[in-house]
Amino acid sequence: MGMQGDFYQLLKKQGYVLGVSGEAGAHQQLTTATTILAFKYLDGVLVSGDRRATAGNLVMYDRTDKVLEIDRHSVMAIAGVPATAYEMARILEHSFKYYRRTQLQELSFEGKLRALSKLLKENVPAALAGTGAVAPIFAGYDPEHDAAKIYFYDILGAEFEGVEYAVSGSGSPTIRGILHYVNTWGEQPLSEMPEEQATVQALRLLTSAAEFDSATGGVNRDANLYPVVKFITAAGVRTMPDPQLRSLFEMNVSRGL
Amino acid sequence: MYEEPYRWIEAIGNRRQYLDDQFRQGSPVIGIACDAGILLMTMSKGTPKLYEIYDRLALGGMGHPADLEKLRFNLLEMAHVEGFNRSPADVTGTRMVKYGIAPVIKQAFEEVFKAPFIVKILLAELGQKAGRDRFLTINFDGTFEEKSQCAVLASSAAIEQEMTAYLRQQPVVSLEQAVTAAVYSWAVGDRAQRQVLEESRNQSEGQNAAVRLASDPDLLHEHVRQCMNGLTIECALLDRHMPGASKYRTLEPDELERSLPNVLGRPTT
Repeated sequence: MGMQGDFYQLLKKQGYVLGVSGEAGAHQQLTTATTILAFKYLDGVLVSGDRRATAGNLVMYDRTDKVLEIDRHSVMAIAGVPATAYEMARILEHSFKYYRRTQLQELSFEGKLRALSKLLKENVPAALAGTGAVAPIFAGYDPEHDAAKIYFYDILGAEFEGVEYAVSGSGSPTIRGILHYVNTWGEQPLSEMPEEQATVQALRLLTSAAEFDSATGGVNRDANLYPVVKFITAAGVRTMPDPQLRSLFEMNVSRGL
Repeated sequence: MYEEPYRWIEAIGNRRQYLDDQFRQGSPVIGIACDAGILLMTMSKGTPKLYEIYDRLALGGMGHPADLEKLRFNLLEMAHVEGFNRSPADVTGTRMVKYGIAPVIKQAFEEVFKAPFIVKILLAELGQKAGRDRFLTINFDGTFEEKSQCAVLASSAAIEQEMTAYLRQQPVVSLEQAVTAAVYSWAVGDRAQRQVLEESRNQSEGQNAAVRLASDPDLLHEHVRQCMNGLTIECALLDRHMPGASKYRTLEPDELERSLPNVLGRPTT
């Protein structure tokens, strides 16, 4: 078998190196991000993220897409240095396609999880040097177990299952407590919420994170700027369109703002 | 002894004849554009002959499975590295063929001390815009041709011409029409190949076989029906309307059954 179907090995054979291990200069402010979250709802998993990228106290960009579709059944939400995170997402996207096309079968869900873990491990020098730390969430549909699942990672590549939910990014401490509260003492657990109700929760959580974390972007109705919300079910990955997000936000979130 | 030019030419001639013989019992491959996308079709004995190469590229092949596999991997490596280093939009069929596998096949064909690739390849490319679909066929000697609307692989150029002529006479707009046209075109090719094989065994001329057979629809029905006892219809679609970047999918058995003409519709694998 050897390295059959391993796209990253193929890249490395051609001299590709992921990440840069040089130390961040004392006066350099790297672009970072974020609040991302994922939780199980009635039909599968909801993954959402704000849109802001910051460098120190500068807002670099307010339309960043941090919830990236890797293939038809998996999503990677990114927190950390976008340059490295986007590169990892591109490698994963090509790796999964390459495996499917060479081996004539889908890479298993566990194989996908390991692929991201391996990339994070390769990136450890850059993560420790401060130039490329990434702490992503990976969510996808596992056909072996007929279930959508959530995993989150530390910057060294350790992988943990988020049995009910997972959060990452600078705004995550704020919403982690809320998620625990809502899931434990709310009217119903997150896993029993239908799609629209789950989306409202995600919008409220990200709005709360933006309230207390300057690196998290909130909703900007004037600019028609809403978080990205994606759903993973047996049918694949689907994105909630902005007009629907707008309507849900105005009916269920904006009254308190 | 091949240092002498005429010896080399003789060796190449022998090799060409040897390779022609290798394809005589191969299964033809058809590629045809329709509203739904590009349909690739063949009949096989279990080993697949249609493959996904990249987001908008698919391959159909005739010949030795091991050679086909080697070239398929070459294409896959090239396409994915190129798509990663540049952009998926830069992975085009023309580049993959012209600068990728055609020179490799030609070199293998002309190096008379080495084994040639026993393959013919059809590469289909779904256009980014309507009317931009392309087909590239590569022969065992590395020569390639670019076509639009449809392309076929068969054991000889004469049979390929007959199959193409048949395809061009068929009204192909929907996927169902494309499947029907492809299946009957396959029958035109396969019958002609068998006829040529038979006639060559009888030491007679078989060049006009395809012309005679293509004109009889009942014979084509019957031929496909007989072949379905031992072979499996294999259909893949580069689906124009599929969400996401990857457009390749195989036709599921129930979808294929619905698309086949009623006289042929029955469970397939």
